[in-house]
Amino acid sequence: MTERKVNDLGGQPAGPVCLDEHPSTLHEKRVDALQKLLTGGKLQAFTSDAMRRAIESNTEEDYKNMLYYDKWIRAVRVLVIEQQLLTAKEIDDRIEVLRERFKKTGTL
Amino acid sequence: MNAIEPRPGHALPAGTPVVIRKQPPEIHCRTPFYLRGAVGEIAEVRGCFRDPSLLAFHKPGLPMRVLYRVRFKQKDVWPEYSGGPNDTVVADIFEHWLDPIDGVKKV
Amino acid sequence: MSSSHGHHHDHHDHDHDHDHDHDHAHPHSPPAPDDADQYDRYEVLLQTALRELLDEKGIITADALHRQIDYQDSLTPAIGGKIVAKAWLDPVFKKKLLADPLKTINESFELDITTPLDLVVLENTPTVHNVVVCTLCSCYPRMLLGIPPAWYKSIDYRSRIVVEPRKVLAEFGTHLPDDVEVRVSDSTADLRFLVLPYQPAGTEGFSEAQLAALVTRDSMIGTSLPLSAASTSAHAQK
Repeated sequence: MTERKVNDLGGQPAGPVCLDEHPSTLHEKRVDALQKLLTGGKLQAFTSDAMRRAIESNTEEDYKNMLYYDKWIRAVRVLVIEQQLLTAKEIDDRIEVLRERFKKTGTL
Repeated sequence: MNAIEPRPGHALPAGTPVVIRKQPPEIHCRTPFYLRGAVGEIAEVRGCFRDPSLLAFHKPGLPMRVLYRVRFKQKDVWPEYSGGPNDTVVADIFEHWLDPIDGVKKV
Repeated sequence: MSSSHGHHHDHHDHDHDHDHDHDHAHPHSPPAPDDADQYDRYEVLLQTALRELLDEKGIITADALHRQIDYQDSLTPAIGGKIVAKAWLDPVFKKKLLADPLKTINESFELDITTPLDLVVLENTPTVHNVVVCTLCSCYPRMLLGIPPAWYKSIDYRSRIVVEPRKVLAEFGTHLPDDVEVRVSDSTADLRFLVLPYQPAGTEGFSEAQLAALVTRDSMIGTSLPLSAASTSAHAQK
């Protein structure tokens, strides 16, 4: 185990800060809302620290290259399975259904 | 404040010089690499919080640990620091990741 | 929002999985928001699958999700702006704000913000300039300011602001005298930070609304200063 984890970025060499912004997309808002509802309130299916831990388990390359909300939704998947809210099979099966739906209708 | 006050005799006072530990990080670690071994000063005692390295694995995170805001002079953290002479960095560090220098007692 | 910052295109190169065309050559820009191709992306399918399954099982209903999104949408930097403006106008409020931020904000603005986290207000002065980061992830006072900007969550900002803050601030068009203490707060635990910018010169006698118009989101993160007294926003508020 290395002393510096993939997310531990303070002082690492990096480039100019890109100041581009875009309004949140519906997808991004949904990811945000899902993780907030799962970690908060009455449900508390898992903690924010568990989310962070799941995201930190990415390789250094994936951590740097994956989109922010992609890391989040993948972490949500890991944790809902870990906490036995859903199974990997249920999720994978549903994704296939959605792929078919998109092929047929052009939407989800 | 949401946090829980430390019990009397269990917290280092503000102003205490401290050194951040160099120890193997937990799987989920909230003490940044760039501060390991750095010398700073307790700016504020922020109460007790559950241990994030345990919360990360669905554990209760007990016992609660004292959280300190620790201030460091940038020139003490980075050998090549080229900003202002008074610049500082402040991080929120748990009691089990630092040690007092000069035998300061907890209050 | 302040637009007086530099803008760079020479990013470090890295792989990025595009599945669509876009006009501008930023390798790490997210997919265009309304691009239908997005529905094909694994992560969008995954989000939809999780959302549908959790609703079907009654764990998170579609209605609860809508309400959460509506609540998130309601959190904007304008809330922070009002808090700062009031602190500039009212020294009694400011003192209470610094001592117990969340309680003071809830009382004064009749809000009901509940959070397991602790809010800390960092006051800028003529000798101390505060700027906030979360080097380890993207901790941000979302309960007050809403969603953080992409740059705050970026590898570049998180890496560099602690080691070369003045160079990063310069990219935002922000320059501070050498003898000012640039104090970077790294949000490594459950504290969340709101910077209380220093009140701009020449704004004595401004109304609360005029003052709030000067408070940009970036000035509450610390990467920018608030707008000046002469800015159009302030005049428009009369």
